[in-house]
Amino acid sequence: MRRRRIHDKIIEILLVIATIAVLLPLIIIIFHVIVEGVSALNYEFFTEELGSPSRAIQGRPTGLVHTILGTIVVDMLALAIAVPIGIGAGMMLSEYPEHMLNPTLRIMNDTLNGMPAILKGLFAFVLIVKPMGTFSGLAGGVALSFVMLPIIARATESALLSIPWTIREAGLALGIPRWRVVISAVMPAAKTGLATGLLLAFARAAGEAAPLLFTSFGNNYLPDRWFGFIFNPVDTLPQRLYSLAISPYSEWHSMGWAAAIVLLVMVILAFAFARFVTRGKVQLK
Amino acid sequence: MNKILGLLPVLVLSLIMISCGGSDDPDRTPVRDRVTILGAGATFPAPLITAMADDYRDITNRRVTVNYQSIGSGGGIRQFMEQTVMFGMSEAFLSEEVMTNIENSTGGRAFNLPITLADVVPTYNLPGIGKGLVFSGELLVDIFLGKITRWDDASIAALNPGVNLPRTNITVVHRSDGSGTTNVFTSYLSRVSDEWRNQVGFATSVNWPTGIGGNGNEGVAGAVINTPGAIGYNSFTYALLNNMSYGSVINSSGNIIEPSFEATTEASNIELPDDTRILFTNTPAEFGYPIAGFAWMLVYENLDQNNAIQTRGEAEELIRFLIWSILDGQELAEALGFARIPAAAIEKNIQMIRQMKWQGQEIGLELLQSQNLL
Repeated sequence: MRRRRIHDKIIEILLVIATIAVLLPLIIIIFHVIVEGVSALNYEFFTEELGSPSRAIQGRPTGLVHTILGTIVVDMLALAIAVPIGIGAGMMLSEYPEHMLNPTLRIMNDTLNGMPAILKGLFAFVLIVKPMGTFSGLAGGVALSFVMLPIIARATESALLSIPWTIREAGLALGIPRWRVVISAVMPAAKTGLATGLLLAFARAAGEAAPLLFTSFGNNYLPDRWFGFIFNPVDTLPQRLYSLAISPYSEWHSMGWAAAIVLLVMVILAFAFARFVTRGKVQLK
Repeated sequence: MNKILGLLPVLVLSLIMISCGGSDDPDRTPVRDRVTILGAGATFPAPLITAMADDYRDITNRRVTVNYQSIGSGGGIRQFMEQTVMFGMSEAFLSEEVMTNIENSTGGRAFNLPITLADVVPTYNLPGIGKGLVFSGELLVDIFLGKITRWDDASIAALNPGVNLPRTNITVVHRSDGSGTTNVFTSYLSRVSDEWRNQVGFATSVNWPTGIGGNGNEGVAGAVINTPGAIGYNSFTYALLNNMSYGSVINSSGNIIEPSFEATTEASNIELPDDTRILFTNTPAEFGYPIAGFAWMLVYENLDQNNAIQTRGEAEELIRFLIWSILDGQELAEALGFARIPAAAIEKNIQMIRQMKWQGQEIGLELLQSQNLL
């Protein structure tokens, strides 16, 4: 009996250590990013355009308003493209397991997931940039949607599969068509899982710089017209962060750290928002 | 709850529209008259180009926005050939093959316009010894070949009398990524040493016989700053702005040249070919800094053949910006850590701009004449 308790205690301690080992890098990263970047976060950071390094060196107003808005637009475009397709694919995998296309779909989905992000960018380059003749936020959104798609499809599949078959049977017994059962009975029950999948996809895509390099391209200014966010080159946080970081100017280095804070906060806000939304729905049930 | 969700996109959209509006300022150019010039390429000159762009935007009351993004010299050449950008930017001039391809496909040449200079300095970390250690080309070759492994080696001491060199081992640091900086540095080593040329050669990335790799200027700088006894090479801008110790180099005329913007400009003040495609590392210029090269803007002769340029108006704005950046724009150089291009290069640039055309019409010539530059 005592030996068992000691064993139990040892395993417990090991688990705690493992948890800390997982969380520690995250905490160190967040702490470091905040310490380095907080000095560059001011009002102008959210209202001014970047312009050039001379602005930062001479202390003239400079900021990343165009980058923050650009990131929101490109990520939203990507979500708008990836969510319907991704959820559709996930639905097909889980609700129509007998369909002959499914084995191929599953392999393709996994391949897409494992493909280097830069290749997805190149694909969007060929698909959108070359025919349009210019880099654009739309091309960036398409590239990021390729990043999101397989994650959403996989998460949707497992979220739907986790719902007991009895729910579907109950629906079908009432004479409701199969597609209607999925949308009205299975999907609402799997809401939390679906939201988690979307978030994972969003968080993953929000941090990608490589696919945006040759698609949304970057911009040091706001576009002249508001639809320029979609049809003209657009700045995004991960890409701008990188170019600020490799510049020789210390003022830009701290702006890069500040950009990292904003990106972190955006992802955290998205998580909080999704938790809030799904929690509300679950309580309604 | 659902109401809030529905309002969110409207909120974001209106925020975006407000931020782009800004037509309340009467001095600003109306939105419909605005032009964007798209360029991409080398990372090293990016700060200078964006600074020029920013000033030019102010000068033209926001009529002309130059959007330059650094994607590397290779990427710049690639996008220039793909015709997704109005101008490219590269620390290596276009190869004969690329020049011929472009001539065949567009019926006109591709111009390489020197816009600034890339200078590379040996950087080191020797506690107690600041900048100004003297190196010769042969010495740098021997160090980067791994033949000289200690700082108190007789050949280093011979060039630096009176300096108390430590008995530290030398750690060589080089770039691990493809880079124009490496190209300039190895081109210099190849010019001063047959052994280097035959064993290693020069390129944007080479097979280093010794040493550790660092990614980017910042990677090399980080390794050098954190390793006592380390020697690496960085762009002068980077070494200067990050307070690194950098050496002076003996040039081909036997003069000890301390890196400076003037010495770099001087290095390129030589007989230039008409297309400016020349590597002048180990320059014959008497007081020129020997490890330097041009960074070129790449522009088509027949601008209408570039798919990225839609209208004659855009082509004219591009030419106006080119003219401005090789003349007035050079004033920005030193404050940002860049060297100006020499008079000889300005002259060649004007001759190239003069030949630029839009559907056969000599718009380069017209614009130069309208500014009394011809």
